[in-house]
Amino acid sequence: MSNATLVDVKDMVVRFPIRTGRGRSFITPVDRVSFTIDSGEVLALVGESGSGKTTIGKALLRIEEPSAGTIQVGNRDVTHIKGQALVRYRNDVQMIFQDPFGSLNPVKTIEQHLFFPLKKHQGLRGTELYDRTGELLERVGLTPVPETRIKYPHELSGGQRQRVAIARALAVNPKFLVADEPISMLDVSIRAGVLKLMNELKRDMNLSFLYITHDLASARYFGDRIMVLYGGHVMETAESSDLLRRPMHPYTKLLLAATPGNPVRQPLPETSNQAPDLLEGRKGCVFATRCPLVTDLCRNEKPPLQSLDAGHAVACHYAV
Amino acid sequence: MSQTPVLELENLSVAYDTPKGPVRAVNHVNMKIYPEEIVGLVGESGSGKSTLAYAIMRLLKGSAFVQEGTIKVLGQDMYKMSPTELRAFRWAKISMVFQSAMSALNPVMTVEQQIIDTLTSHRKGITPPQARARAEELLDLVRIDRKYLKNYPHQLSGGMRQRVVIAIAIALEPAFVIMDEPTTALDVVVQRSILDQIQEIQRHIKFSVLFISHDFSLVAELAQRVAIMYAGRFVEVTPSQRLQEAGHHHPYTEGLLRAIPRLTADEVTIEGIPGNPPDLVTLPSGCAFHPRCPVATEECKIALPPIYDTPNGLIECHRFAGEKVVQHV
Repeated sequence: MSNATLVDVKDMVVRFPIRTGRGRSFITPVDRVSFTIDSGEVLALVGESGSGKTTIGKALLRIEEPSAGTIQVGNRDVTHIKGQALVRYRNDVQMIFQDPFGSLNPVKTIEQHLFFPLKKHQGLRGTELYDRTGELLERVGLTPVPETRIKYPHELSGGQRQRVAIARALAVNPKFLVADEPISMLDVSIRAGVLKLMNELKRDMNLSFLYITHDLASARYFGDRIMVLYGGHVMETAESSDLLRRPMHPYTKLLLAATPGNPVRQPLPETSNQAPDLLEGRKGCVFATRCPLVTDLCRNEKPPLQSLDAGHAVACHYAV
Repeated sequence: MSQTPVLELENLSVAYDTPKGPVRAVNHVNMKIYPEEIVGLVGESGSGKSTLAYAIMRLLKGSAFVQEGTIKVLGQDMYKMSPTELRAFRWAKISMVFQSAMSALNPVMTVEQQIIDTLTSHRKGITPPQARARAEELLDLVRIDRKYLKNYPHQLSGGMRQRVVIAIAIALEPAFVIMDEPTTALDVVVQRSILDQIQEIQRHIKFSVLFISHDFSLVAELAQRVAIMYAGRFVEVTPSQRLQEAGHHHPYTEGLLRAIPRLTADEVTIEGIPGNPPDLVTLPSGCAFHPRCPVATEECKIALPPIYDTPNGLIECHRFAGEKVVQHV
């Protein structure tokens, strides 16, 4: 695995306007988030709904434009690119969406789904185009290829559709994929197959992934590193096994204690289940409203993300 | 156990009428659930979990009908009751927590109105002040602040809505509650706190639960026994602590166990089950799992295996030939 940094995000902020009683104000679902992904590396982004996971993924693909901060992919600043540059950028970066039932066009055959990116981005025509679609379908395990290519999405199961979505993302020969909860809508017996496929792709094609999930177990399986997100802020980031062995942030601990399959069963600390406040200009730690260890310091001052040791960083005043 | 079972399913088959003839979604299912027991029901989508739940509640809609067998709740046949009897019985003795809390609640009624509505329509002679007092009690039980009584469902978070749905299900202290994926749409932390609460309430007012889910590890923690459903059949019914031990289970169960990445195991390897869940219209011959089964033999393609009574519970698989046969349907 080469260790060149492929994706470098610095202090990224995404804000959305909302209408309140007193006119317009802003929420920041992603607030000063920084991370890097090496080529061939998988960064798992874990957090609950509303924590900003998908927004980060969309910003990386430049479906959303960040309000501040920079995104560099392969030494190119892509934070505010437009037009042709943006089209070219998507040769390198693609996304796999959560819902394989919604992301495929019901009136197009499987091969037509692959023709489009191959023509547009690769300029393939004729037999070249035909052969390349076959290769892609074979690569993602949709065999027998001649039968699969003329099927429509409704003839495929959820797992097979997600494979089509992966093949379509691979069509442009990307270096980096954003996988937004790719297995959460699939049946349990099918999930492992899709995870394994992504693992093979990572290994064989030296692909980097941003793997968005809410499930720590699969994050640990697929992710080299895990980044825990809460209310748009990074709470903790570490090597996968290290994070599960030594969680330091109270939110990571809570998340781990709540995940089914954890042998240590203890009642969760009684905390409120209020959603985090995302309004701009709030004070203190975002997790303060739910934290069992909260003090006045947490309510008034946002803890910085501090590196503790090799690759383990945590944003908490009281991390031990 | 010699008590009267709370739920007794005998040879139950539920089918959907289609132009191609009846399609069986639940296929010859037998099960007894005893008082205060929590039984988990695990299966993939389309395996017949929810159809079974609706059949038990006698809530089957459209073309679905009970083709064979009986459903007894507290010794009474659900399908022999008159509409008035059923109305009095349902919710007072048996209730259900539905999957989607948003659509289970009425968006134009406040939380209080919905709880009171349930109370007054199923319990004769309850006065409005009594109903209001009970509504407050119920919210305390599921740990929601009483001030939310006057709120509408959209003002509550997903977790709170699900708590309200649970409060409504236990409003009349039923003996048996069916929970159909009550936590599927929720975040892990919220899910955990709701499960803790279900267990706490269950200890407190003592009802039995049929807990439907597709999440193995979750059910194994919550339930005493787990039934595993595949293509409409219970392929295995096993005590949940046995699920930790690999080997000696139904091949489908073992496949599922291998398919989940473990949170804490030393090495992380996972293995999917090849193939796809079967289409109920064209069910494979013999054992429905044989096309995906790693240990299938010729016999599996021809004959439906009987249910064997093994040390790991009741398993429907030819691998266990030699163990005591429970029945053959």
